[in-house]
Amino acid sequence: MDEFEEILQDFLVESFELVEKLDEDLVELESNPEDLELLNGIFRVAHTVKGASSFLNFDVLTHLTHHMEDVLNRARHGELTITPDIMDVILESVDLMKQLLEQIRDTSSDAGIDVAACVARLDKITGGTGEVDTPQAAAPAEESVEESPAEESAAEDDEDELDYENMSPEEVEAEIERLLAQRQEEDRKKREAKIAAGEAVPQMPSGDEEEAKEEEKKEEPKKAAPAPKPVSQPAATPKKTESKESPKAAAPARKTPAQVEQTIRVDVKRLDHLMNLIGELVLAKNRLIKINDDVEERYEGEEFLEELNQVVSIVSLVTTDLQIAVMKTRMLPIGKVFNKFPRMIRDLSRELNKKIELVISGEETELDKSIVEEIGDPLVHIIRNSCDHGIEPPEERLAKGKPEMGTITLKAYNEGNQIVIQIDDDGKGLDPQMLKDKSLEKGIITEKEADQMSDKEAFTLIFRPGFSTAAQVTNVSGRGVGMDVVKTNIEKLNGIIDIDSEIGKGTSMKLKIPLTLAIIQALLVGVQEEHYAIPLASVLETVRISKDEIYTVEGKSVMRLRDDVLSLVHIGDIFEVERILDASEHAYVVVLGLGTSKLGLIVDTLVGQEEIVIKSLGDYLKGIEGIAGATIRGDGGVTLIVDVVALMSMAKDVKVTSLSESESSSGAVKEKTSASDYTIMIVDDSKTDRTIMRKALEPMGVTLVEATDGQEALNILKSGDYNFDAMLIDIEMPRMDGYTLASEIKKYNRYKNLPLIAVTSRTSKSDRMRGVESGMVEYITKPYSADYLSSVVQRNVNFKAEFL
Amino acid sequence: MSDQLKDIINKQSAQQESDIEQLDDIVQLVGFMIGDEEYAVPILAIQEIIKPFSWTRVPQVPAYVMGVFNLRGAVIPLIDLRTKFGLTPKKHGEDTRFIVMRHGDDVAGFVIDRLTMAIRIKKENIGPAPDTVNGDDTIIDGVGKQADKIITILKVNKLLERDF
Repeated sequence: MDEFEEILQDFLVESFELVEKLDEDLVELESNPEDLELLNGIFRVAHTVKGASSFLNFDVLTHLTHHMEDVLNRARHGELTITPDIMDVILESVDLMKQLLEQIRDTSSDAGIDVAACVARLDKITGGTGEVDTPQAAAPAEESVEESPAEESAAEDDEDELDYENMSPEEVEAEIERLLAQRQEEDRKKREAKIAAGEAVPQMPSGDEEEAKEEEKKEEPKKAAPAPKPVSQPAATPKKTESKESPKAAAPARKTPAQVEQTIRVDVKRLDHLMNLIGELVLAKNRLIKINDDVEERYEGEEFLEELNQVVSIVSLVTTDLQIAVMKTRMLPIGKVFNKFPRMIRDLSRELNKKIELVISGEETELDKSIVEEIGDPLVHIIRNSCDHGIEPPEERLAKGKPEMGTITLKAYNEGNQIVIQIDDDGKGLDPQMLKDKSLEKGIITEKEADQMSDKEAFTLIFRPGFSTAAQVTNVSGRGVGMDVVKTNIEKLNGIIDIDSEIGKGTSMKLKIPLTLAIIQALLVGVQEEHYAIPLASVLETVRISKDEIYTVEGKSVMRLRDDVLSLVHIGDIFEVERILDASEHAYVVVLGLGTSKLGLIVDTLVGQEEIVIKSLGDYLKGIEGIAGATIRGDGGVTLIVDVVALMSMAKDVKVTSLSESESSSGAVKEKTSASDYTIMIVDDSKTDRTIMRKALEPMGVTLVEATDGQEALNILKSGDYNFDAMLIDIEMPRMDGYTLASEIKKYNRYKNLPLIAVTSRTSKSDRMRGVESGMVEYITKPYSADYLSSVVQRNVNFKAEFL
Repeated sequence: MSDQLKDIINKQSAQQESDIEQLDDIVQLVGFMIGDEEYAVPILAIQEIIKPFSWTRVPQVPAYVMGVFNLRGAVIPLIDLRTKFGLTPKKHGEDTRFIVMRHGDDVAGFVIDRLTMAIRIKKENIGPAPDTVNGDDTIIDGVGKQADKIITILKVNKLLERDF
């Protein structure tokens, strides 16, 4: 049973691939009914599916494909001309075929779908010539060009009597694989042989590789049948470049199928797992680079550094290559999505009574699998929209002096780290004024917003939920949901939509999508003591500004950026960052761009650009507004990734001006009721000195806390266990000296008014100057009298006299 | 070969059965303190217990969600049980631990004040949650009675459930 399952899986995968191509071919066939090559190709699909499904006992599918095959066979032999009406029936049968295949995929059975009506219609087409509905009638014709299953098995028997009974499943599979490859190769050879036959039959034997000869034997009788018909065809077909080659030239090409078979189907889960592992590796690499930098700083000039450097750079290089290689294995050509559009355009144009031509280019452009899966629906909406609203009816086009046939161009190409999918139509274009009026009417925007809107911004109105320009709801569009969904879907992929239009000339939409979702380039920014990562794709530029460049308009911060006014928001206001550090005179503005909208994000520092691996926050924390995920940095810490789309909408509600002075520090200073409510920290590395200070201050009855160096002092301060009223700081200390400690403390808003008193043996003027610069209010030189110290402290903490 | 296989399968199922038998009457728990109360969770729900280290604050979450931390490459939420249980936050000290609990695919770290011990307790000594905490919403699974004290056993799936 397992073998059957495997065969079934292979059959389904193959069939879906074939059918996908079928749609495109059929539409092309309609515009090019003479193309025998195309017809043959289509016929072959029907035939292959028929053969396989009969083998697998899918009777309904066999029944349907058999009749399809019949019709196509007639067309192929020129007994039937493909008219649009016939094409409708064929397409209908293809749809049924898809349904059946899906049914088989889901239930392993093809029961439950009624094909009788369609079969009857197919029959009618062939009916004129009689005995068409019996399979036997078609069989000879089939064999004339295509190898029938019987022939195939005969060929097998000829070649080698393999003992299938004793084979292991793997061997059987390999054998099937081999036979398939063989068959495909034969197929191709036959095609070429036929072409050659059509062009110059006598030359054929000179295509004389061994297989070719072998092939000849089988081919000989078959060639006769198709040869008379396609005499005029080979030169006319656009697709067949090989048709002009001599058989000799074609000979090497025959070898290629064997190479094409050098592929393995891999479970996507395995690739995903591989991608995750690479993600881990990238993180480790980042970490390694950071460590290397640290080591470099510490052991400058040491010999082993050179070696370490080399290793690190090799590891980083290989990791990057590996990442690209794995990314590539996940890439699919976008043609997979594009394939379904010719058919869609055809159906739509018939439905809407318009003449529309679809020009596709760049279908070989590759995208990550997950993106290819997501991009289909948005594209369907956009193209439907172009057909329905963009392209005018033929009369109108003629009246405007445009060609009767409207053109929609679908194009994909690479641009830097992004893929651009461009959809152009030469329809009536978007009228910004009309869009504004409609939106006003529907209450999507206000009068004021409408006045301020540029044309480009007006175009984006079509993406607003509830917006529709169609006067009436048609089957195709006009419900005002589609484009809204398009925007959400594209933004979900971290993509942006750019829209441009000219009235009467047409509309152009560009979807810009990142190559992959898992690993991105990000700009790391700092706010207070936190870091955030912003996807670089959304960053237009960064600017350094000073506080007085920020203006406030209607409660919102704005700045002038060249000729534009840019609205600003502080990242700290969005992410509720506690403002513990004192704001500096300068700030950095990260200009974020998403389509046409821009926003300036104020941050405290720019850390740099880094390649980051996106990790989800898990179920527990998912859906936090403004956060797209997290990443692990080189130092092992977690950094949150900003969701630019959400951020932009959140920014609208944030009114707080960013750099303005925040509320007064810690505020609630408790009323002192006893001497011990005063807390003073003594920072000195010498035990003796600390004791001297303690002795001097103890008589006051204040609480004393000791620290042995600057670092420890800072930690005690930050821990918030005590509320200090003053600090006595020695200058010369290990780890962190007094000056550094003072300037570190002064960075914090809430310690702005904390009196720092230097107690030191350094007496020079420049030392005093430095003390003042770093924020010390008093400078006591050792030795000092206990009374003097006590009085200085009392003065600085506003010590109440009654406690003495 | 198939005989060998059968043997192995039999052995495994036998082992499983005995495991189940054991589980039937004895429950293994890990006890910890939050404030003055002792709580416990099943030992099998605990992935690991680690000493506190740095974490990253996450905005727009309740106060008891302290943020996220990096556990060997995975980003895991960190929840302060003191705050969640309505106690005042306390500074992390020598005894503070992060307990990483897992239920299905959900993983989170929980900050506790102090570990007590691993407890083996008979099933019959576990009573239902008091009536005052009613309904399915309670995070209390039951009350374990021991010689000198009682321990509140928590539902790991409820602890790992997002409730904001």
